Amino acid sequence: MVTIRQLSKTYSRGEAMVTALHEVDLEVQQGEFCAFVGPSGCGKSTLLNLVAGLDDPTSGDIVIDGRSTNTLNSQDWTTMRRETIGIVFQAFHLVHGLTAEENIALPLLLRGEPGRDIAARVDDLLHRVGMSHRRRHRPGELSGGEQQRVAIARALAHRPRLLLADEPTGNVDSHQGAEIMALIRELARSGGQTVLLVTHSTQAALAADYTWAMRDGRLVSRTTHSAQSVYPS
Amino acid sequence: MLSFIKVVLLILVSHLRQWPLRTVLTIGGVALGVSASVAVRTANVDVLSSFEQAVVTVAGPTTLEVSGGESGLDEQLMTRLRAVPGVTAVSPVILQTAVEMRGGQPGQAIQVLGLDLLAEFNTRGFRLSQPATERQMLDMIHPHSVFVGDKLAIDWNLSVGDEVHLLIGTGSCRCRVAGILHSESDRHSSWERLAVMDIAAAQVTFGMIGLVDRIDLVTAPNLSVDEVADKVRTVLPPHVTVERPMNRTSQVEQMISAFRLNLTVLSWVGLLVGMFLIYNTMAFAVAQRRREIGIFRAVGMTQERVAVLFLIEAGLYGIVGGLVGSVAGMVLAQQLIALLSRTISDLYVPVSAGGAGSLWTGPWFRMGAEGVLIGSVVSMIGAIGPSVDAGRTTTVRALAPGDYEASQQLRVGRLALMGCALLGVAGLLSWPGPIQGIPVLGYMATLCLLAGLACLAPLCVTGGGGHRRSIGSTAGLPGVMRTIAVEHASRNPGRNGVTVSAFMVGLAIMIGVLVMVRSFRHTVEVWVADTVLADVVVAPSLWLRGTEIGTVGRSLPQSWTSLLSSIPEVAAVDTYRDVRMTVNGHRVAVVSRDLRLHAQWSQYLVRRGDSSEQLNRAAEIGGLLVSEVLANRLGVQEGSILEIMTPNGVRPFPIVAVFYDYSTDGGKLLMDRALYQSLWRDELVTVFPVYLRERASLDRVRDRITEQLSIVTNGGLPPLVISNTELRKEILEIFDRTFLLTYVLEAIAVVIAMLGIVNTLITSVLERRREFATLRAIGGSSAQIQQLVLWEAIYLGAIGIVLGLIGGGLLSLLLIKVINRQSFGWTIQMILPIGSLVQAVALAVLATLVAGYFPARWAARQPVVEGLRDE
Repeated sequence: MVTIRQLSKTYSRGEAMVTALHEVDLEVQQGEFCAFVGPSGCGKSTLLNLVAGLDDPTSGDIVIDGRSTNTLNSQDWTTMRRETIGIVFQAFHLVHGLTAEENIALPLLLRGEPGRDIAARVDDLLHRVGMSHRRRHRPGELSGGEQQRVAIARALAHRPRLLLADEPTGNVDSHQGAEIMALIRELARSGGQTVLLVTHSTQAALAADYTWAMRDGRLVSRTTHSAQSVYPS
Repeated sequence: MLSFIKVVLLILVSHLRQWPLRTVLTIGGVALGVSASVAVRTANVDVLSSFEQAVVTVAGPTTLEVSGGESGLDEQLMTRLRAVPGVTAVSPVILQTAVEMRGGQPGQAIQVLGLDLLAEFNTRGFRLSQPATERQMLDMIHPHSVFVGDKLAIDWNLSVGDEVHLLIGTGSCRCRVAGILHSESDRHSSWERLAVMDIAAAQVTFGMIGLVDRIDLVTAPNLSVDEVADKVRTVLPPHVTVERPMNRTSQVEQMISAFRLNLTVLSWVGLLVGMFLIYNTMAFAVAQRRREIGIFRAVGMTQERVAVLFLIEAGLYGIVGGLVGSVAGMVLAQQLIALLSRTISDLYVPVSAGGAGSLWTGPWFRMGAEGVLIGSVVSMIGAIGPSVDAGRTTTVRALAPGDYEASQQLRVGRLALMGCALLGVAGLLSWPGPIQGIPVLGYMATLCLLAGLACLAPLCVTGGGGHRRSIGSTAGLPGVMRTIAVEHASRNPGRNGVTVSAFMVGLAIMIGVLVMVRSFRHTVEVWVADTVLADVVVAPSLWLRGTEIGTVGRSLPQSWTSLLSSIPEVAAVDTYRDVRMTVNGHRVAVVSRDLRLHAQWSQYLVRRGDSSEQLNRAAEIGGLLVSEVLANRLGVQEGSILEIMTPNGVRPFPIVAVFYDYSTDGGKLLMDRALYQSLWRDELVTVFPVYLRERASLDRVRDRITEQLSIVTNGGLPPLVISNTELRKEILEIFDRTFLLTYVLEAIAVVIAMLGIVNTLITSVLERRREFATLRAIGGSSAQIQQLVLWEAIYLGAIGIVLGLIGGGLLSLLLIKVINRQSFGWTIQMILPIGSLVQAVALAVLATLVAGYFPARWAARQPVVEGLRDE
């Protein structure tokens, strides 16, 4: 599903050049749940941003669903995100003026889907993330965990084949964090989505099929673990 | 204190670096507002000072001027005046206009002054340079000798001995330049552009044998000028006026005061709109820096100093804006002066443009200082609210998110109530009359109206307090973008309310003035159509220029009546005489014509009764018809008696009718020509309205008139023969020219309001970078982000336009029924110019879209990753 070849990203900070990613190679198969862990600044969020097309690599290539992204322009990336990618952020990034159901409907509206289909899909997702009773509430009226549930539902609304989650438990307590991870795993499994998860939390990473440890912009080690004991599928 | 200033400067420089575009927009808005104000003030001052300078320079040592009005004075009076105790010098003066003929075409008009050169060449402040020959004295007083000012000689490329062809009234004169006129002082002076002749030569040249325009007196320095003036009056006919030279300036100043005041007030609109812009900028700055404020407070800065910090920042914007605005104002003033002098010449009294010299050599420092003062005061007033808010914010609240808008939300309801109260006050203030002729309460009502609507703007921005649309109910993408945009805009009633207010004020004034001007134009069109009925008007050749001084250039001989009547296709010829006189302290136009003839062929729009009946009655009983403006000003009506000073003393005249007239704002009196001639012994005619027989050919009659009159004008420029259509067109052109200035000032206000929208949208875009980045991350395209910002602009623009239409409608009522009526006394029939209103709204929509486009494009191009990054 995702193939990364010799991917590098260098930023300039004033006079100095900072290498965030250094010639990373990676292959993630369809339906796999892959986590990236490592200290701050190791390049894991940069990796996710590059896969999402939110930032441009300095060199290397990312192939998503068999398609090289090197030649994609801004509009192509928009289409890619609209069709193939869903993103969950640490800070939720819900649109403040919209209700929970409106936020979930947003990607479908941006795709121009018919109103009736949207309503049905939103109802289903609200039910699956357990937020049906809070559907008309705005982000300011929801707890952190509730906001993240809505954000997950939004990320999955358009049935993406690839789900990118950047520290989804970073702004919630440990109990809510466990619930969030279980939800992501369950929904991704049932939808057949490939998941790339970036996290500080080793507990959260256990939800994945395997974990890549990162340091100084490189993938250093891979650990495969049986998550079933912690997050039953 | 010094350390505080250092802190202020440090903070300011960092913010300027952070928000350069917003800073430029804000300064630009202030600069535009200041430029309009400085330009109008400069132009107003320049036009008046050029008039004043001309009066003062030419007056020299004169302490009293004796004037007989437009019919002139008998020169024999000088003998009587010399005998008055306290009068030490008596000088005859002729002041007329001549026009240079160049290549057979009339060129520039100049003032020609006839003086007793032998007696006065070293007393008036000029000196003559003339070749020293035996005939020097004879050359000086020769009937065709003229001395030209040094600047004029350069402009016209004249040297001593050259011949200059001058048009004088209906005739012409080939004069010889006998010498060059220099000012005795080094300073710029009116002598530079004058032509001077000996009094006898001037009498011959201007056909004023035995007459003078004025007699200048020098009184003994040890005696009171007023006492001598009283003695002088005892030896003069009753209608002759005796006044100090400066009185003429104050008369003109008084005459055009209402016009100037209205123009000045209109020039302040830009400043008012600029004030909203500053408020907006500072409110954003306070919201943006609330954490900074918390930190300042935490490290020991007092509340007052926090407020002062923001006030100083606004003041600095004002200083820079003021400086830039002063320079722009000077450039604009150069254009306005010509336009303003032409308008004042059209409507009131001939004034020359730029008489005080080039503005670039003028009082730069004073104008710059004025601009800076206006800019900084306006900016600081605009910043008071946000600065006080900043000062009052407590440290804990300043460090908490969402504080600023939360406090703004609470005020929406209270502001709306205050707005309703202000609208009520505006209504009450529009009832009472003017104070000393100035519609002070009318202006206050205007201010209350605009302030009231501005207070209602935040409520309108919130959509009436909480109405929300659900995305589920909106079909398709534009719906969701619109909903998000509206939702966001309505969540910021404080800031967006100010933007909407600024736009509303600009638009309301544009619409209000537009409705007023269109209604006024319609009224004038109806008036012209109903009253200007002569088929042809024969007028002096330069009648339409409006720059003529003196009687000669503006008069025609009565003998032409028979000449015109002799043309077979001419049915009737009226003799129209228009002179200015002072009646009860007001300078009015006294018009005399054959009232019976006029009753037969044309009409006046009389307030009561039938025009023909009233005209015939006035002719029969020696009564007057008075214009509505004058009737209001003098407090007279139909049936009243009006006393007027005539050469035979004060005489009572019955007022037969009051008529609507829009040709002069000083007012007009109408009497029968026979009565006028019997009292004032004035045989001259200003224009001849000519009525043609049925089926007469207009072109043929015009050719015939031109042909006949070219014989009697003897080489001069033939008089104007204007058709009815041309005359009506000319009247409306003068009207349009008068309001051209208004449009310029309105345009400036609308541009500032546009800057306000750009400013707000940039603020909004900056604040919502994360939201836009999120939308991009979940599949929104850059075009959709652009749509979102544009929808927000459209939402704010739509509220501004609706409020602007309401405000404009109410403002037009105030302008027509209160301010215009109290300032000038005209009755204006209000109309709703649908076409013009649609154009104004289309312009406002376009302005909104233009103002929204650039921030929208900018928002769409922002990098997504940076937008998603946490604060």
